[in-house]
Amino acid sequence: MAWRRLFEHRLGMIGLVVILGNILLAILAPWIASDPLKVDVANREAFPSREFFFGTDEYGRDIFSRVIYGTRISLYISLLSVAVASIFGVAIGAVAGYYGGLTDNILMRFMDAIMSFPAILLAIGIMAVLGGHLFNVVIALGFVYIPRFARIIRGSVLSLKEKGFVEASLAMGNSDLIIIWRHILPNCTAPLIVQATVSLAYAILAEASLSFLGLGAPPPAPSWGNILSDARNFMLDAPWMTVFPGIAITLAVLGFNLFGDALRDVLDPRLK
Amino acid sequence: MATMIPYIIKRLLYFIPTLLLVAFLVFFLVHLIPGDPVVVMLGENASPENVVSIRKSMGLDRPLPVQFTLWVGNVLQGDFGTSIQTKRPVIQSIKERFPVTIILTTLALLFSLILSLPSGIFAAIYQNTKKDYLFMIGTLLGVSLPGFWLGLMALLVFSVHIGWFPSIGFVPMWEDFWEGLRYMILPASTLGLFMAAVVARMTRSSMLEVLRLEYVTHARAKGLSEWKVITKHALKNAFGPALTTIGLQYGRLLGGAVVTETVFSLPGLGKYIVVAIYARDYPVVQGCILFIALIYVVINLVVDLLYSYFDPRIEYQ
Repeated sequence: MAWRRLFEHRLGMIGLVVILGNILLAILAPWIASDPLKVDVANREAFPSREFFFGTDEYGRDIFSRVIYGTRISLYISLLSVAVASIFGVAIGAVAGYYGGLTDNILMRFMDAIMSFPAILLAIGIMAVLGGHLFNVVIALGFVYIPRFARIIRGSVLSLKEKGFVEASLAMGNSDLIIIWRHILPNCTAPLIVQATVSLAYAILAEASLSFLGLGAPPPAPSWGNILSDARNFMLDAPWMTVFPGIAITLAVLGFNLFGDALRDVLDPRLK
Repeated sequence: MATMIPYIIKRLLYFIPTLLLVAFLVFFLVHLIPGDPVVVMLGENASPENVVSIRKSMGLDRPLPVQFTLWVGNVLQGDFGTSIQTKRPVIQSIKERFPVTIILTTLALLFSLILSLPSGIFAAIYQNTKKDYLFMIGTLLGVSLPGFWLGLMALLVFSVHIGWFPSIGFVPMWEDFWEGLRYMILPASTLGLFMAAVVARMTRSSMLEVLRLEYVTHARAKGLSEWKVITKHALKNAFGPALTTIGLQYGRLLGGAVVTETVFSLPGLGKYIVVAIYARDYPVVQGCILFIALIYVVINLVVDLLYSYFDPRIEYQ
């Protein structure tokens, strides 16, 4: 039922196509693009042409190839960081909501503290001490997004806890772990999926910002933010370096936003 | 109003553990540095005496709980640490640079409200018409475009090619208002666009909810003009949820300012943090991040209290 409504959601399907397109580009990068790190001194800052679709940068590296490989970095970081955030967020939210009382209080005050920072600022702080590395970006973004998931899951658990099937399971002598895992969490999937999709859009933007500031994957890694950070010094001579990575970021984020909105319409109309 | 005072006190008490945890997170950052933080900060070639003296002055030679207590004590006295590079108190630099960030974020806030509130109300009135769809597409683009890239593109188009705005640099608005404003228009609007889209959506949906309520139907039945119904009756109740969103989004502006100030070379707190990170001047990074978090926490507290003032249905318990 929900599936059919999702497939009939036109904007959502456009979003899904964009997402799948991005995933395909990331997987097929070696076949579509040439080496994103290859320096070509003869073709420095070349205008976009049939040979270099998006032009080249100050080292003669092909911007098209760098943007395509950038899809890999962007998806890798956003998927992993949202996975980290949702695993910890679900665990914390479920425990806090289920046990309540002091446990709930301590865990949720900690979540409040994390949310007291502008997300990107906390990620910047974490990257400043951990140092630029793909894996560290995953840790930093994963950490700052935990509270969003914890709050949503806690809310769902609080309302589910009072339901008859949970009491029945308790009366049957099932352990807390089984009740949470088998009976409560499966009923939280709708808001979880919506939050995860929207968070992917945020994570892509955040990753691009971090690497633009020089706090993401270190150069010469072809992340979109890195290309833009480089492009800043050549805005007059090679504006194409600025234009194309930005379009790639916008499209990727738009895809997840469109699909996320559709999921919310279909799965959880109350959230609208 | 008098009934609110216990509520306000309760909210303030409730904030103390959160504030302590915020301080703890910032404090703990330095201890996440792989290896000896002092050696990382001073570089491999630092003299051993220097390492020992910095370690002492930062209190890093004491046990963690003692360090934390001292650190919180210092912050309470307005001591946000001392820069390793310049040996100046961090709070001094914050005082010089924060006005720039405040101006940037306030202008971005104004820009986004001017754009979002009328358009959100407008879209709600014209729900499911072409105008509404155009509005939805606009907000979708607003939440999908990376602000710092928009900033770069705006520089490219409006400063470099058309020459309407100065490219990078800064003139304080408190010295020359109009010239200062000219320098802030591109940074503030590109920073504020994301928030504009989010608040516009929120305004539209809370307006739609209110327009469905019976008292609005009643006001219409009384023969009030649609304009009166909306401005006198609907708007007041639709504003509450929008206000909360605005408070939360202000944090995004403070965070985004770090990137925007870097794009436009504005001498604000965000640029200061980024420069400090490159210089591995961790006390500066810590002090500034803590300062911004405190500002954000206070703003949200104020918004919460305002919200309960606007919406008397909230119980003060």
